[in-house]
Amino acid sequence: MFFNKHLNRGGGLNAAAAAIGMESIPDGLRIAEEETPSTGSSQSQINHNNNRVCGYIDCGVHITCFSEVSDNGTLHFQIIRLHKQIYAWIGCNSAKFGHLYAAAPTRPNNTVSVTSLLGGASDNTGSGIARRLALKTGLNVIVACNIPKNSPMLEADAEKKLVQKLINLGYTRPKSDGTSP
Amino acid sequence: MDSSLSGQAFPVRHKNLSVDIKGHKTDIILCSYDDHFLVIATQIGSMGTILHARKEEGVSIHPTFNVSVVFGKRDEPMLVACARQLIEHMSNSGSSRPLVLALGLRDHSVVQSQ
Repeated sequence: MFFNKHLNRGGGLNAAAAAIGMESIPDGLRIAEEETPSTGSSQSQINHNNNRVCGYIDCGVHITCFSEVSDNGTLHFQIIRLHKQIYAWIGCNSAKFGHLYAAAPTRPNNTVSVTSLLGGASDNTGSGIARRLALKTGLNVIVACNIPKNSPMLEADAEKKLVQKLINLGYTRPKSDGTSP
Repeated sequence: MDSSLSGQAFPVRHKNLSVDIKGHKTDIILCSYDDHFLVIATQIGSMGTILHARKEEGVSIHPTFNVSVVFGKRDEPMLVACARQLIEHMSNSGSSRPLVLALGLRDHSVVQSQ
């Protein structure tokens, strides 16, 4: 009841912590501040989390699925947000898994490295997407993409839609922290 | 103009559950694509080690399987054994689809895969 009183005043858990002389909140208590269910699983779930909530609370897993129809065909997107990683699948007109890539910020300058994990030997459709997602989110990303090769317009279209959804979901870093998108 | 697909189910089925294994919260995600299964089991907030397991085409009665680590720890035999067990189970249940298995586990001494 003590914590509820402070939360209702808009002070948040930090204020409640300060009120009783604690420096930090044990993980078990932080769960109370979570705004969305800890394990989300639904079709087309839109989570309007602000980044602060997911920054220091274990949000479990959020899965977002959506499709977009365009002149070039139907693009399907699946985004799985884990605490420290994002997995994305992009399907073009089918539900084939496609090629798998991993990208991550690497030291010393937080430049992003990308590698192909499955498939994609000479055909790198999707590796650019993985690389730019890692840049925008600052997280490790795993991308599976079955866009046919030699389709740069389709690839750019898919990336644009995916990034827009990531921004809507709050998974991208704000530009004000000085890193370029 | 682009529009969202309406009236059609998303082509990839997925299932998401959370279980407690030896005190560690484990998130399990199962996804079914046209030509692959994806299974993620994580206790560490990321996919961890990613393995690829597939049934080999062959003429003998008993199928053989190829399991390899594509990302992450390559020196943990229990992870490979886990993937091998899973792909054999799937094959015995009638599915020939390859498996992409992501295991992000805290403790590699005993791997609970089922």
